Amino acid sequence: MENLLFGIGISALAGALATVAGAAEDTESDIGSQGDPNSQVQLAPQMGYIHRIYNKAISGEPPAYGLWVALAAGIAWALMAIQYNAILALIVGSSVAVFVQGVYATTAYLGRTASLAKFEQPVYIDVLKSVTTVTMAHAFVAVFTTVTMCFLMIEALGHPFPLPLMGIVWGIALGAAGSATGNPFYGKERQYQNYPFGAGLPISASGDIVRYAEAGQRSSLDNGWFTSKGAGPASGICFGLIVFFELWRTVLFEPLVAGWGGVIAGAVLIIVFMVIDRFVETWARKTYGPYTKETEEEATT
Amino acid sequence: MAPKIEASAGGMEHGKMLAIGLIGALICIYLVYLNTLMSTQVFAFFGGLAAVIALWWGTDSIKKLCSYGLGTGVPSAGMIALGSGVVAMLFATKLAVISPLLVPIGCVVVAAILGAILGFISDKVLNMNIPVMTRMIAELTVVGSLTMLGFTAMVAGTFSFGSLILGSISVMGLAIPSYAASVIGGCVIATIFMLGAIAIQHPFNACLGPNESWDRTQMCALECGFLSMITVAIMSIVFLSFIAVVISFVVSIILWGWSYSELIKLSKRDAFAWLDVKPIREVGGEQ
Repeated sequence: MENLLFGIGISALAGALATVAGAAEDTESDIGSQGDPNSQVQLAPQMGYIHRIYNKAISGEPPAYGLWVALAAGIAWALMAIQYNAILALIVGSSVAVFVQGVYATTAYLGRTASLAKFEQPVYIDVLKSVTTVTMAHAFVAVFTTVTMCFLMIEALGHPFPLPLMGIVWGIALGAAGSATGNPFYGKERQYQNYPFGAGLPISASGDIVRYAEAGQRSSLDNGWFTSKGAGPASGICFGLIVFFELWRTVLFEPLVAGWGGVIAGAVLIIVFMVIDRFVETWARKTYGPYTKETEEEATT
Repeated sequence: MAPKIEASAGGMEHGKMLAIGLIGALICIYLVYLNTLMSTQVFAFFGGLAAVIALWWGTDSIKKLCSYGLGTGVPSAGMIALGSGVVAMLFATKLAVISPLLVPIGCVVVAAILGAILGFISDKVLNMNIPVMTRMIAELTVVGSLTMLGFTAMVAGTFSFGSLILGSISVMGLAIPSYAASVIGGCVIATIFMLGAIAIQHPFNACLGPNESWDRTQMCALECGFLSMITVAIMSIVFLSFIAVVISFVVSIILWGWSYSELIKLSKRDAFAWLDVKPIREVGGEQ
């Protein structure tokens, strides 16, 4: 019983860490315009819309986070192998991974922007200086919490995988959760908030992203502020639930049916979520339907 | 057939780059064998240099492959390169049982065969119909396997399978052999895999666009390689002597600093303008 309670406690703690990681990951990727929103940031200058938005094209988020977390885990593993304090090792590992992330971010912005010279998109050095550090800070939170979560799974729950392998698995899962849950808020709506909500993206509007803010010009940092209100927490809940349910079913059901209990519980969970998803989807379609042009209401006196 | 878009014009011929990349990487990996010959570990950093040379060549292969309209396929090409490369590399390290000198050359041969099969499947069976597919996937598999072998040699100071699965942990001052503390058992190889997979696809992915230029993309490849070398040097602290780690680290830091500053100079050269705290210049578009 005590073991079980300990296991559930660790699951909850890991789930909480994962929630923070998911929120920080999505905020980081939206500040840098990585993944889904990146294509429009890249396209805008070609359509004549010069902008001051960061262009962090480092593959997709899942492989990129696979690297940052695996790297942090690899270095932490190495330091722990030479008898370093575990907490210190995790911090040093995450710091080195975030340094690598920052360097990759600057080369991506400089590379992509310099290659757009034909369309007269200049390199804005102040964007590079102010935004890179902010993405690095968010990346540190995301990477450190994920590596700590992996470390907890190994040390407290006795997971048989070594730390770097756990890092690669959960790093890719983290990137996938943020990319799938959070990005549409930014890439599909915020970049096109000049157009009616849910209008989709007609070819003529391609690249016409929002470039001016309430006062002055939109900076990528504004995307961080926006993401931390909606898309970030949504990604956090997504990744947190993934981690929590994954551990919870293992801790609780693994002893049943000769070890198959965990697998069966996992399958049941997937089916339950499929039913919920289907319900939400049909409800949303029925309520909002396909986009229709607004009929102008006549003014009544 | 997918239309071909010419990436950057000019630059070195691809065949020449292949020759330099292949021979250079092989020589550097063989230089790591000096460790065994002279019973030292200070030559480990040559493994990293081998990986960088391979990445430099592989960047151009990815560019050739992706000039057929594979925009989002650039990162995938990097993944398949390292994914198939790790199979060839692990197989080749087993050849050390016969002779350690067989490992690097065996790695290239096995990777080329594996890559040719994978390329043939993608091109003909999956019907992607890209003329250079088979050749470039084969090249990328060789690049991937050499990158893995290079970084593995750098982290462990050797490239024979027996040493890669045998680490040691010290308990009360006594060194005890342990599988869990080895390169493969501790899965340091997983980190190396991701380092290589991102480093091989990043240069072209980051520099693509109408004004992509050959020297800037290749400098970015070197920069990514040296950056990966720094982190591999830190991880080698488990397997190598302190002196060897310091040498690897210093070599990587110096080369990375040089390549990064060169890359910024080249970006400055190619950029339309280099502005600090300036507003958006309106050039057109609908207002």
